[in-house]
Amino acid sequence: MGYGNYRDPMKARPAQYVVGAGEKLELSFVVLPGESRDIEVSIDLVGEGAEVTLKGLYLCGGDERVNFRILMHHRAPGCVSHQLFNGIASGSSKVTFEGRIVVAPDAQKTEAYQENHNIVLSDDAHVEATPQLEIYADDVKCSHGATVGRLDEEAQFYMRSRGIPEQEARVLQMLSFLSSVTPEGREKEIEGAVRAL
Amino acid sequence: MDQDKQIIQEFTAGEYKEGFVTDVEQEFVPKGLNEDIIRTISRLKEEPDWLLEFRLDAFRKWQKMEMPRWAHLDLPEIDFQDIIYYAAPKKDKDRPKEIDPKLAETFEKLGIPLKERDVLAGVVAVDAVFDSVSVTTTFRKTLAEKGIIFCSFSEAVKEHPDLVRKYLATVVPSGDNYFAALNSAVFSDGSFCYIPKGVRCPMDLSSYFRINARGTGQFERTLIVADEGSYVSYMEGCTAPMRDEQQLHAAVVEIIVEKDADVKYSTVQNWYPGDADGKGGILNLVTKRGICKGDGAHLSWTQVETGSAITWKYPSTILKGDNSASEFYSVAVTNNYQQADTGTKMVHIGRNTKSRIVSKGISAGRSQNSYRGLVRMNAGAKNARNYSQCDSLLIGSKCGAHTFPVIRSDNPTAVVEHEATTSKISEDQLFYCNQRGIGPEEAVGLIVNGYAREVLSRLPMEFAVEAQKLLQVSLEGSVG
Repeated sequence: MGYGNYRDPMKARPAQYVVGAGEKLELSFVVLPGESRDIEVSIDLVGEGAEVTLKGLYLCGGDERVNFRILMHHRAPGCVSHQLFNGIASGSSKVTFEGRIVVAPDAQKTEAYQENHNIVLSDDAHVEATPQLEIYADDVKCSHGATVGRLDEEAQFYMRSRGIPEQEARVLQMLSFLSSVTPEGREKEIEGAVRAL
Repeated sequence: MDQDKQIIQEFTAGEYKEGFVTDVEQEFVPKGLNEDIIRTISRLKEEPDWLLEFRLDAFRKWQKMEMPRWAHLDLPEIDFQDIIYYAAPKKDKDRPKEIDPKLAETFEKLGIPLKERDVLAGVVAVDAVFDSVSVTTTFRKTLAEKGIIFCSFSEAVKEHPDLVRKYLATVVPSGDNYFAALNSAVFSDGSFCYIPKGVRCPMDLSSYFRINARGTGQFERTLIVADEGSYVSYMEGCTAPMRDEQQLHAAVVEIIVEKDADVKYSTVQNWYPGDADGKGGILNLVTKRGICKGDGAHLSWTQVETGSAITWKYPSTILKGDNSASEFYSVAVTNNYQQADTGTKMVHIGRNTKSRIVSKGISAGRSQNSYRGLVRMNAGAKNARNYSQCDSLLIGSKCGAHTFPVIRSDNPTAVVEHEATTSKISEDQLFYCNQRGIGPEEAVGLIVNGYAREVLSRLPMEFAVEAQKLLQVSLEGSVG
């Protein structure tokens, strides 16, 4: 098992990765409050059986501008890609997520999945999600999902009716929302950021 | 595997049976587009000055605009000077009131009744449009008794100028986009309906558009106004002859839904799609938009798109009134070299507004089929809710299926959900059916119809039957 042959992600924009046959690439993004970021990533799956997993977490509490632009290009058959990006926007922050999956004509047996979920907490926060699927092969399994919403009132009610204070219930729900994209070892840091939101 | 392919091919082998030409004497305006042509069209239609001014103003806007290129389409260069903008069958001077038997025959052949016949055949009032003019509108009297106005757009301009003037271009302004501006400058005929306060329209209203003349474009203009508490179900159908040349159809449809009114708009689009090599076919470049103006208004779009060489169409709803709701149900089928870029826009302005989008794309042959949509929650759209689902079904390895949704939320209480999937008819599914004694041919039919069922079930009965047949015919030679 090898890792993606990556080309200087810090200097080149967008960061470009080429993943060859049988290789695996895993990337995790964390954007914490106070950081404005333009994250552009372009990934080419060029060899059979390549696998890519992307995870992203963002928390915005002030006037941050966070922009994700992801291009997942399946150029070879039998590759798998998973993407999950979850984030919370509060304050007067602005988040855009543009995620594109392209499956080339000969990339049969491709599996490509992408999800982007957003929670908006304040009146002045803006979220724009643009997931895109461009598929030129027929034997594929592809899906994307995007949601923009608020904290679930029923879940809040459930917790509060069991004696959990309002603020704590909110924090718990946000943590569970972010848990699937929280990198190992950074749980404490992220919990702190959520509590401070 | 090879056998499966053959079976799918046989199953889908059909032909475009509406591709005939009616031989009738027609009058044309000269080819080309300039202010004189627009004045001529306006004069032929005996229009008031304000409408001529509206047209000229739109034309001036159009001249400054550029053809939109953002769609996922390979749009050919259109020579707008090479199109005839007005074509009408000549009226017989001896019998000005009667319909030319040839035209009657044409619509009969297409299955559109122009005579108000037996009620049992399903009561539908029809406005039949042939090239640039409306041939007839049925059941006008019956509808008038309830105060409903249903007539051709040209007649409405003459008979109800105040209503037309009040609502025209309020939803799609003349400078809205390139093709809407072109339409506003040269539009010919279409339907006008007005449902008065509290009236439930007793029958489905329907418009049928037929392109016949060579070298022409059709510029349909339809305006539907549903006043407070009213209800109407409106259907639209269309066909054209088979030709090597591509013909332009640039329509504008505007729908105004007042407080607590309910409008159901259904389309079965079956323009000539071009031949198996992608030659000819209709360029269907259409702007359709409705506004839920008052509180509690409801607008539902259902479309089955099987025809046209190129489709560029985004029926949209502006949800302005509080508690208003809108739905968009679509099945788009492309085959051979057809291209479709279609979807919807839901703009939520009012509180508690709700929208639902269900789009099913089926692409076969070498076609490209895209869903493009916008869901926008404005800052005032408190507790607004949207759910979208866009599925694509691929038949064959040379076609493409694409999804381009845009979700924008400026309100923390709004909830938007979008889901999209892409898959193909798998050998497993075919095998499953075969194993249970369902022939392969039938199995493909079952799978495609089952896949599109959620949308087809929303169509009025007469349309649903036709749409199911169309789905099968449209997939002609889809594997290869």
